[in-house]
Amino acid sequence: MSARSRSEWPVALGLAAPFLFLLGPFLWLILSSLKTEDEIATGNPFNLPQAAMLENYRDAWNIGGFGDLIFNSLVNVIAVVVLTLIICAPAGYAFAKMRFRGASFLFYALIIGLTVPLQAIIVPLYQLLAGLGLLNSLLGVTLAQVGNGAPFGVFLMRNFFRSTPDELVEAAKIDGCGHWRILTRIFLPLSRPALLALIVISAMSTWNDFFLPLVVLISPEVQTLPLGLVRFAGTYTTDHRLVFAGTVISFLPIVLLYLATQRRFTEGLTQGALKG
Amino acid sequence: MRSKRDVSYDGLPRAMLFLAPALAIYGLFTLAPIAATLGLSFTNSAGLNSVARFNGLANYLSLAGDDIFWIALRQTILWLALHVILAGGLGFALAIAIAQLRVTQVFFRSALFLPHVVSLAVVGVIWAKIYDPFFGLINGGLETLGLGFLARGWLSDPALVLFSVNVASSWQGFGLYMLLFLAGLQNIDHSLYDAADIDGASAWRKLIHVTIPGLRDVMTFIVSLAMINGLKGFATIWVMTQGGPFYRSELITTYIYKLAFQFQEQGRAAALCVILSLIAIVITVLFNSWREKQP
Repeated sequence: MSARSRSEWPVALGLAAPFLFLLGPFLWLILSSLKTEDEIATGNPFNLPQAAMLENYRDAWNIGGFGDLIFNSLVNVIAVVVLTLIICAPAGYAFAKMRFRGASFLFYALIIGLTVPLQAIIVPLYQLLAGLGLLNSLLGVTLAQVGNGAPFGVFLMRNFFRSTPDELVEAAKIDGCGHWRILTRIFLPLSRPALLALIVISAMSTWNDFFLPLVVLISPEVQTLPLGLVRFAGTYTTDHRLVFAGTVISFLPIVLLYLATQRRFTEGLTQGALKG
Repeated sequence: MRSKRDVSYDGLPRAMLFLAPALAIYGLFTLAPIAATLGLSFTNSAGLNSVARFNGLANYLSLAGDDIFWIALRQTILWLALHVILAGGLGFALAIAIAQLRVTQVFFRSALFLPHVVSLAVVGVIWAKIYDPFFGLINGGLETLGLGFLARGWLSDPALVLFSVNVASSWQGFGLYMLLFLAGLQNIDHSLYDAADIDGASAWRKLIHVTIPGLRDVMTFIVSLAMINGLKGFATIWVMTQGGPFYRSELITTYIYKLAFQFQEQGRAAALCVILSLIAIVITVLFNSWREKQP
């Protein structure tokens, strides 16, 4: 409609200010990361770099060990997502489509975990990981993240499965299918939107997690990307060009991944938040 | 005729095959620590190798007499309110603006969501640079505009620090709220707007009488989500100020970390953990009951 698209310009122009507030920082960081130390420390922050100092990136990458940090974060995210899907889909199915004594008790036990933040259980969790020999180990962080994210995953899958008709289960049972076959052959293929939501949300919260890695991962070689960047920025406080380049290295991969998948990404996030 | 019960009653043992993996890992790594936190909060535990003895309410009483605890509690509440107002408000305003767009909506929605994909710790590093008094974007911008007298140490000024860090945190957080508001706006029956148009209602009246009532459910959900997210606020504070200067950006979460892992006062830390859980539970319950009372 031409009337609508003509009336769009004032709104789009009005969005310029928030747009600048939200995207300006990215642009400034990328530009600054291409400057020399001198340009950053003494020049106006709005100046453009005189020449693109790509060696900032090479130096930051080598000194900060960003290759290892990104690798650790990827291993952590993949392990959490896979484990979360494997344990939450069957549990969500049981709560949605199976009848058993104790269902509401177990359900309330899960609700507690949905409310209590990780910060509120960190002391015994730390002791537990120490007792299991999982301090300073990505495996320990991964297991704790899966356990902490499980209630949300189970709720999400349960709510999705509940919206599918019971007749599907009854009919499949009459055909001689057990619950396991009903779940894997009928429900999982149907539940792509829920699985996508669970993947996006658990991947993002794991990739972004800082608190648990800070407490558990002490040695640099097991650290994840956010933790490693913070340590790097703290060590090289006076080498601004390195910190700027390291920061860009830390956000650019996820930003590019988001831009490539933004439709699915935001769909998954809204679906999950509203259904979970 | 088959009875419904024969077909659908499964029994706990069979259900357990499906539930056990999730319950085991959740029980071990979340539920048991919740119970253990409560127990630990009544002991004088002081680190991994010490012997913890029951000391009743001593940890709670010592927190009640601890000025930093009260500062952290007050600032946590202020922090939550700021996050709801800044991040929730910006999310709401931008969702309303973007919803009117047809051609450029997808572009603006994806672009404005970008800060949310960056992790809070990285956001802390980014904004520490933006706030830097010497080469930062903010003071540099003020100088350029001839407003140099407004330039200051955004993170070193005790009166400003909580606000400054909250802006960074809200900058990252608002994108999700914007998306959820947009999803809520799509669910409002469009005929209500058409009816309002026929009545000659202004854009403002449509906002007050159609949009906001239509968003009520989403709004309570977002406010409680924003509070719970805000309650977890740790990364940006830790990276930018570690609670300083003079505890003026200390939150309950940062104080828990200090008590447990810097001062080795695990019993007192556990008591503070219990208080944090109670706040989280109260927020959730209050909002859900308020939500159910709404027509």
